[in-house]
Amino acid sequence: MDDDELITAIAAGDDTALRELFSRHAPWLAIRLRSLLPATDTEDVLQETFLAVWQGAGSYRRGSAAGWLWGIARRQAALFLRRRGPATLELPGLLAIDDPDGDPAEAALSGVVMARAAAALGPDGSPEREVWRLVYVEDRPVAEAAELLGVPVGTVKSRAHRVRRRLQAALRIGTATEGGGS
Amino acid sequence: MTDRCGPPDVDLDRVWTGVAAQVWLRRPGRIERLAAQLLRSPGLARALVTTPSLLTGWVIATAAILLAGMAATWGTHTPYVALFDPAVAAAGIAYAYGPGIDPAWELSQSMAVSDRMVLLTRALAVFGLNAVFGLLASAASGAAVAVTFGWLVPMTAVCALALAAATLARSANVGVAAGMSGWVITVLAGKAIAGQVTAAVAGPSLVLPYLVFTACCGALVLYTTRIPRGTA
Amino acid sequence: MNVELEELVRRFGHTQAVAGVSLRAGPGVFGLLGPNGAGKTSLLRMMATVLPPTSGRLELLSRDPGDHAERREIRRRLGYLPQNLGYYPGFTVVDFIEYFALLKDMPPRQVPRAVVAAVERVGLGDKARSKLKTLSGGMLRRVGIAQAIVNDPELLLLDEPTAGLDPEQRVAFRTLLREIGERGTVVVSTHLVEDVGAACTEVALMDQGRIVFHGTPHQLTARGEGTGAAGDAPLERGYSAVLAAARS
Repeated sequence: MDDDELITAIAAGDDTALRELFSRHAPWLAIRLRSLLPATDTEDVLQETFLAVWQGAGSYRRGSAAGWLWGIARRQAALFLRRRGPATLELPGLLAIDDPDGDPAEAALSGVVMARAAAALGPDGSPEREVWRLVYVEDRPVAEAAELLGVPVGTVKSRAHRVRRRLQAALRIGTATEGGGS
Repeated sequence: MTDRCGPPDVDLDRVWTGVAAQVWLRRPGRIERLAAQLLRSPGLARALVTTPSLLTGWVIATAAILLAGMAATWGTHTPYVALFDPAVAAAGIAYAYGPGIDPAWELSQSMAVSDRMVLLTRALAVFGLNAVFGLLASAASGAAVAVTFGWLVPMTAVCALALAAATLARSANVGVAAGMSGWVITVLAGKAIAGQVTAAVAGPSLVLPYLVFTACCGALVLYTTRIPRGTA
Repeated sequence: MNVELEELVRRFGHTQAVAGVSLRAGPGVFGLLGPNGAGKTSLLRMMATVLPPTSGRLELLSRDPGDHAERREIRRRLGYLPQNLGYYPGFTVVDFIEYFALLKDMPPRQVPRAVVAAVERVGLGDKARSKLKTLSGGMLRRVGIAQAIVNDPELLLLDEPTAGLDPEQRVAFRTLLREIGERGTVVVSTHLVEDVGAACTEVALMDQGRIVFHGTPHQLTARGEGTGAAGDAPLERGYSAVLAAARS
């Protein structure tokens, strides 16, 4: 079954479809969340994400399952951090930034953090910034980003890897000052 | 569980366990949670709410029979509720638990919550439910007070008989048969001797024999459930 | 020592199903072999506190199963899979396992995750909410194994656990046994000699209520060498050789 069919099945109460969806998508969702959150928080948010998928599968409209899933994950991460308290809101800035229904205060905060994180990637217009903007902020598939940038897919992937590493380093410095982190 | 890996420090199996724990399993209902507190044992509460003869269908059937008895009493002034309820209760008790009805009986015998406790709790619950229904139906059908409460004693005796027979023979059906036939015989004997169908129910001189009989059956149940009978 | 048996006897009428068995077992996987009627099931049932011994001393997890309170403590830490499990047809896989988890006095908060872990461990993840009446024999056996391991037992007793399992599942099962045997005692009663060889660290061979061999699978194999005993595999030959010697 393809992703759309799986999600339809989940909406109808098929738990084996949820299991299959988890097996397909949890790994990359975990990687993405992990670049923003410590390991235990990633586990908690991932769990909440799939529970939200189980409950909200009915509202899925055919399209990009991956995008839909990441949207849920982002929202769950924002909720999770909000529950935890202001001290940790600073961490993953990329979450609510393009969510029009989101909390404006959080968006503002996220904006500050995002600017800080983006600065860690290099000057505006640099290859890493561009890759980050296309792949992470605008959620485009790697192939599309490669086409837009006019470079091979492999190049996009290795730049994305560098982006993740630099972000992790930048955010880890943030977590170290908080005394938390993985 | 997944073949592909996420980040090395994220335990995806643990995440899935957390998801499935909420997707696959339901939170216990209110009755079960109340029972768990009263009985001080979540296991016993779960055993109680899964009693075959306490399931909705059975309860509805019991209520239906007693309502019929109630209606019949209005018409004929014979207290049918008092005559029906012991038989119905006996059937419910026989189907509550035991080797005849429990296919996983061998396994149940190795449980921390002993099968004897389960048996007792379920039997009491079934009895209690039938007693309450019966009292309501009997009072509503306008039967004499003596009869309204009087049949509780023979009902206890008949239920004890059904339970003893079921555990001894390791068969719920034997229990039902024993309980029903025992009650029918008693009622007919009462009619033959005293001329009244309700003699078996209302006579105060019968209370002691009934109670002695109940005690004997009870002892038999305790004995049978203490020593598991085995086959090599 | 998790299991200590001394001159254990179990009589049924005039027959002695278990005729004086002495055994001590610590952590590890212990195989109980023997022909039908050898007394393996009765021995296992006594260890499962389901059958009281007629005479002899029995100590499980350093407790006395004859004492009511201690028996309950043993049962909380016990996992048992009888030869004929029986199942409730209308229950789902998770209903069944959860039911017995609760009857083992597991703290209710731990139960859901433990049930999920047990289901995934036996490879029934995509049958979790299926009704038991829809499952095959091998799957039902795995449900039985899952309820036995759900409370992370210190003493796991399995009577003919691999009946109905295909070879791939049997391999997975042996891995499971070895993992549990790292911390607790697993006693597997089986007539499938190859199961024993692959998973067990210690083996006892029973015949007519007595133990006629107790040692490692390697030692059992050695007993069969050069005797010309029947069997396709070395372990089988050892098995036949020991039985023949015991009966002569």
